[in-house]
Amino acid sequence: MSADATRTLRKGSCPPGPVPEGLIRVYSMRFCPYSHRTRLVLKAKGIRHEVVNINLRSKPDWYYTKHPFGQIPVLENSQCQLVYESVITCEYLDDTYPGRKLFPYDTYERARQKMLLELFCKVPHLTKECLVALRCGRECTDLKASLRQEFSNLEEILSYQNTTFFGGDHVTMVDYLFWPWFERLDVYGIADCVDHTPKLQLWTAAMKRDPTVCALLIDKQIFLGFLNLYFQDSPNAFDFGLIC
Amino acid sequence: MRFCPFAQRTLLVLQAKGIRHEVVNINLKNKPEWFFKKNPLGLVPVLENSQGQLICESVITCEYLDEAYPGKKLLPEDPYEKACQKMTLELFSKVSSLMGRLIMLQQSKGDSSGIKEELQRELNKLEEVLTKKTTTFLGGSSVSMIDYLIWPWFERMEVLQFDEYMAQTPKLKLWMAAMREDPAVKALLLDGKNFKNFLKLYFQNSPEACDCGL
Repeated sequence: MSADATRTLRKGSCPPGPVPEGLIRVYSMRFCPYSHRTRLVLKAKGIRHEVVNINLRSKPDWYYTKHPFGQIPVLENSQCQLVYESVITCEYLDDTYPGRKLFPYDTYERARQKMLLELFCKVPHLTKECLVALRCGRECTDLKASLRQEFSNLEEILSYQNTTFFGGDHVTMVDYLFWPWFERLDVYGIADCVDHTPKLQLWTAAMKRDPTVCALLIDKQIFLGFLNLYFQDSPNAFDFGLIC
Repeated sequence: MRFCPFAQRTLLVLQAKGIRHEVVNINLKNKPEWFFKKNPLGLVPVLENSQGQLICESVITCEYLDEAYPGKKLLPEDPYEKACQKMTLELFSKVSSLMGRLIMLQQSKGDSSGIKEELQRELNKLEEVLTKKTTTFLGGSSVSMIDYLIWPWFERMEVLQFDEYMAQTPKLKLWMAAMREDPAVKALLLDGKNFKNFLKLYFQNSPEACDCGL
């Protein structure tokens, strides 16, 4: 059973107690791509953590003391320090915890990863818009064309670098920061958007072989079940697929 | 470009850390073709070193300089304090675009009441940060990266006399006064008259705008 297979906390729930010493807590939601980034980093670095899932359609009042707008992901440690914004949480974890460094040591290479992240910045919004359009029965040809253009830009980078991954020959931070949206292309119904970007397809295949990515891969049927309930406005969507 | 707030961030860091540098100003209304080899988007600032390495995006250039060069560290070493500075920068992110729109509306004499309210709301968020921290500067008791990253817009607010906003944000007002005493800020202060002339020419799409005052 994965670390985050727990029921969401919703409005009216009691706040969880303080974070125990030696552990870090992430407020998350099993299907959210942004908190997926944080969970990938926690897993990749082997950081002991606990996951508290939040019901995004019925947020507990106490959650606004963790994030002013009730967004996820948020990290909370045993000193009650809170960190939010997915990229900031990932950097914080890489800085704070020992072991495998996900950001390169070289200053210029680190800057390059951040520039690549800028190149990626339209992808989350475009993929979400495509999903919503398709689910609402609207056509999304223009949106898909825009998404394909963004993917072409990323394809160019991989071609120019001639490496498997965005940071070189091994998986690094930037790959994990991109991954959640590529994992969702199929279940969102827009997998054909990478038809014209062969290097990106190879990257996707290589990422699926990464142990961290594998460990957190979301079952397609469960994801589809979540999406169906989500677009029916059901507050139970977020707990879909949990056994207990 | 001498009047660009984003490029000013990089210049402030270069100044604050005493980094030997040369400046090449780009005419943003008439960009040289070779500049697109430095940044495909044709935007400033861009850093280039002797190994031909290029770094774009103002915040990325500032972090790069802080990491690559010795001397005073502008970003805190403590990971949590560093994360706090980045979260504060997120709070600021709407201010730069709102100010841009406000200036455009001023130039075209359009109705800016809606934007003014939004801008006030965003400034109040920064006031809250200062209130919680109980320090003069946004990162503590001395100037640090977050102060330099947001300063260029506050400098322009002063020059354009957007004083009305500061009435609701007394701590920000004190912060601005303290920033004006900082050596790096002082060294790069805009000339008010030149800046206003620049704005006028820039919004007329004049290729002379960027060289105003030279």
